[in-house]
Amino acid sequence: MVWNLLLRALWETLYMVGASLVLSALVGVPLGIVLVITEPRHIKPAPLIHKVLSTIINIGRSLPFIILLVAIIPFTRWLVGTSIGTTGAIVPLTVSAIPFVARVVETALLEIDRGVIEAAQAMGASTSQIITKVMIPEAVPGLILGLTMVAVNLIGYSAMAGAVGGGGLGDLSIRYGYQRFRGDIMFFTVVILVAIVQGLQSCGSWLAARLNRR
Amino acid sequence: MSQIMIELANVTKIFGQGEKRVVALDNVSLKIKKGEIFGIIGLSGAGKSTLIRCINKLEVPQAGTITIAGQEITRLKGKELRKTRRKIGMIFQHFNLLSSRTVYGNIAFPLEIAGVKRSEIKERVLSLIDLVGLSDKISAYPAELSGGQKQRVGIARALASNPEVLLCDEATSALDPETTKSILGLLQDVNQRFNLTIVLITHQMNVIKEICDTVAVIEDGRIVEQGPVVEVFARPRTPAARRFMKSVLPTEIPAEIQERALRMDDRKQGGKTVRISFVGDVAGEPVISSLIQKFQVDVNILYANLDYIKNTPFGSLIIDLMGENQKIEAAMEFLKDRGLELEVLNGGVEPTA
Repeated sequence: MVWNLLLRALWETLYMVGASLVLSALVGVPLGIVLVITEPRHIKPAPLIHKVLSTIINIGRSLPFIILLVAIIPFTRWLVGTSIGTTGAIVPLTVSAIPFVARVVETALLEIDRGVIEAAQAMGASTSQIITKVMIPEAVPGLILGLTMVAVNLIGYSAMAGAVGGGGLGDLSIRYGYQRFRGDIMFFTVVILVAIVQGLQSCGSWLAARLNRR
Repeated sequence: MSQIMIELANVTKIFGQGEKRVVALDNVSLKIKKGEIFGIIGLSGAGKSTLIRCINKLEVPQAGTITIAGQEITRLKGKELRKTRRKIGMIFQHFNLLSSRTVYGNIAFPLEIAGVKRSEIKERVLSLIDLVGLSDKISAYPAELSGGQKQRVGIARALASNPEVLLCDEATSALDPETTKSILGLLQDVNQRFNLTIVLITHQMNVIKEICDTVAVIEDGRIVEQGPVVEVFARPRTPAARRFMKSVLPTEIPAEIQERALRMDDRKQGGKTVRISFVGDVAGEPVISSLIQKFQVDVNILYANLDYIKNTPFGSLIIDLMGENQKIEAAMEFLKDRGLELEVLNGGVEPTA
């Protein structure tokens, strides 16, 4: 019984985190790239686009997740037809992670040696070739570490998603562990969460180190 | 050889605005011949880096035109600019290799972006790796290579698309003297093998001396002097070039000798301390012994320095000429007639250089 509860909650957490990580990366990575290349003196300087995008991202990041969660309920309902349940939780999780991903990608891409990009320009590479063949491959270790950080954050946020009936480990520990005084469930959810975060971070660090040729 | 490969006409580049305005290039005009190694030397901040970066339009000048092989690059944009850039190789001080790619991958990069077929890429890359002598490092990543090896990869990468021009941006400044020599040897080799026009900028005199045919001296964004290396180095015409040469060449007379020359002003017996500068064949002639025999003057050699620029000897000699004034004058005439540059360090005119 307890194990069934835990297993189900674990699956919900992984589903919410996994789906919102993928979705937020799909939007956030291109945003991060645009943010970088539109910088002054980068390959496609565009001060206005850069400024507007940067401001929007900052606004997105300044909203506490629990506020964002309820504030965008109409949007969530419009998008997926429901604002509750695991699927309903994925929307706010994704929305909150997009600006985070964008900043993480920006940081990773800015770490690349400008000289390498310049060399590619000198060789006649186009903007898209510079992005796909120079910037992203060169930034892979940084991108992996950054996305690991986003994933760990999403696990934390997913606990709050219980507030909209999203389920997951956080929700389980609140409803059973806290409200029903089930110390054992509280204990196990904490153990599982710690294990997931540890495992995730170790994998991310290991992979980043492995792929780092610098 | 006389065909012009690169021509810069009245190129001006200004950075910043208002009070922060810096004129990096001030009305620069240059003609670089096909197949020559053209050196641009200047102290840091002189504008040489901006100059070379204008040639492939990494920097866009505000005024002037740059023409490469008849094509005005300053007018090109987008696709055409990228196509033209493929014909201009470039190597860098810090190599700028892709750290995520192996030696093979780095050299293949320009071919990949040009859309060359995989089988052709392989053939070309392997022959280039062989050319630069890195056949045993084919799968190594840049982090596993020494500076000299990295620059060899840089050169192979720059040559991959069969360029007509190779731009070298301080290509040896991060290397030790021994490695510098081997890289310069490689550049000379590819210059001759492919009749490649090489433009290099540097602050290192040795680099120019070793391999350049023509040199331009740049100071405060202006070309102050240009011409054959031997001419410019041994007989700089403009004060700015002379000042520059002084700063990089050890032709400064040791203080001790200078003092001694001054002291000699007081002595009773007549005499002059003279600096003789020579270039080329005259260096091989026994001028001093002729001097002694023909004019019966005593010669005391205080300082001598001989150097080579691409097999042409040049140097300077500081001597005391002692004897009767008339004979000394005659001796000096004789030296001037042999094509030597004379400069009286005491007993007359104030030294100029």
